[in-house]
Amino acid sequence: MTGTALLNVDAISRRRAGRAAVSDVSFSLNGGEVLGLLGVNGAGKSTTLAMLAGALRPDRGGIRLAGHDFVAKPAVARTLIGWLPESAPLWPELSVDEHLLAFCRLRGASRGAARRAADGMTERLQLGPLRRRLASVLSQGQRQRLGLACALVHDPALVILDEPANALDPVQVGELRKVIRERAAAGAAVILSTHVLAEVVTVCDRVAILHEGTLRHDAPLRGDESGKALEATFFGIATGAGA
Amino acid sequence: MSVFAVARLELRRLAVRPLAWALAALTIAWLAWTFILGLGQFVGAQVKLAAVADAPGFTDLVAIPLLAELAKLAFLVVPLMTMTQLAGERRAGTLALLASTGLSPSRIVLGKYLAVLVWLGLWLLATLAMPLVVGVASTADWGKLAAATLGTALLLATLAAIGMACSAATGFAAIAAAMALIVTLALWTIDRGAQAAGVSGGFLEWLTMATHLQNLLRGLVSTADLMWFALAIALSLVLAIRRLGADRERQ
Repeated sequence: MTGTALLNVDAISRRRAGRAAVSDVSFSLNGGEVLGLLGVNGAGKSTTLAMLAGALRPDRGGIRLAGHDFVAKPAVARTLIGWLPESAPLWPELSVDEHLLAFCRLRGASRGAARRAADGMTERLQLGPLRRRLASVLSQGQRQRLGLACALVHDPALVILDEPANALDPVQVGELRKVIRERAAAGAAVILSTHVLAEVVTVCDRVAILHEGTLRHDAPLRGDESGKALEATFFGIATGAGA
Repeated sequence: MSVFAVARLELRRLAVRPLAWALAALTIAWLAWTFILGLGQFVGAQVKLAAVADAPGFTDLVAIPLLAELAKLAFLVVPLMTMTQLAGERRAGTLALLASTGLSPSRIVLGKYLAVLVWLGLWLLATLAMPLVVGVASTADWGKLAAATLGTALLLATLAAIGMACSAATGFAAIAAAMALIVTLALWTIDRGAQAAGVSGGFLEWLTMATHLQNLLRGLVSTADLMWFALAIALSLVLAIRRLGADRERQ
């Protein structure tokens, strides 16, 4: 654990539906780092991310975000965290533009600041042509891009992305990778949960592997060998052949 | 303030939701029909009324019955308006997203409650406009009408708070609406058994919502009645806030 890290996760555990969904997970993350979170279905990735986003409270353990006790005071998430949950939940009655403005205003931005942030994000994620379209009529890929825009619009210090490449076409996946690297270059810490190993190898600095609710691997990614080495590690853990 | 940000967001969503417009249009049409019938009967009975000393006037025979009709409709309309406020959001996954913006459960509940109150306030104003237009050209009892309006407004606010609590209690909007309807009807008639047995007064009568609304509709404004509504609203909102806070623990 790094005392000065932006995010310090200390032995968090959480039971869901009568079983331990996450057990004693600890890691830390610095600003500018991109952490890939891997795991098979049911490994505990989404539960871990929901706890980091403040939507779930850990049964045990602590989370410190920028020096604040995030478990005791989830309100610190207001400006510091941007979360894209799996399947990008949106309000069907609101347009793309209204979503972006609402997420800024909910986080306390003034009307003018919200307008500027929404315009900037619309331009950055090329949502201009969809601006007035209701979320209910967006395609899955467009919904995913809007969900990403909502997570990033207030320029958070910690970005949590749960399967952000779902339903995106290859061009959009490339654009997503660029956006993630841009945010990291700007000093934000990014946690990227995905099933796609190539995704992690391409954009992440570090990889963590969850299996059956516990953290089995946490190491930096280095060089061209990382892809094969990561694949071997991941399958070893997922099939129970190694750890 | 984030309560107002939540309220603004909810109002925007209500403004584009067909259910809100359909309910407003259908109920106001029904209330307008009720008003015209009442006004017609009042005008037709003028000769008879003129012969009676202290005869009831426009306020008693047209305006207050119209508000009582709105109160009846509210038992169905308010649960329909509040059912999706928290239950629908929980089911769609947007409630967790709202929580991730760092908003406390109290701010989320109060913001949404405020938005429903604005809608209900406009509904009440649209209904009230009918007797007001006629009232300024006749001899309305403004004090009595003000008391009845206050009573109706408090009833709407109480039903909305109970609706929010029921919406917080479940992830199914239809169940939330059914719960709110049953709870409010039970609260309306809870002393019926005691009345049938010839018992009046006591705790059950105090608990009954009808007791407190009837006083206000008669033009009697008492602190005890106002306190009952304030307590019912506060208790319901606290329950909604506590249940929403428990989402972080329970899910």
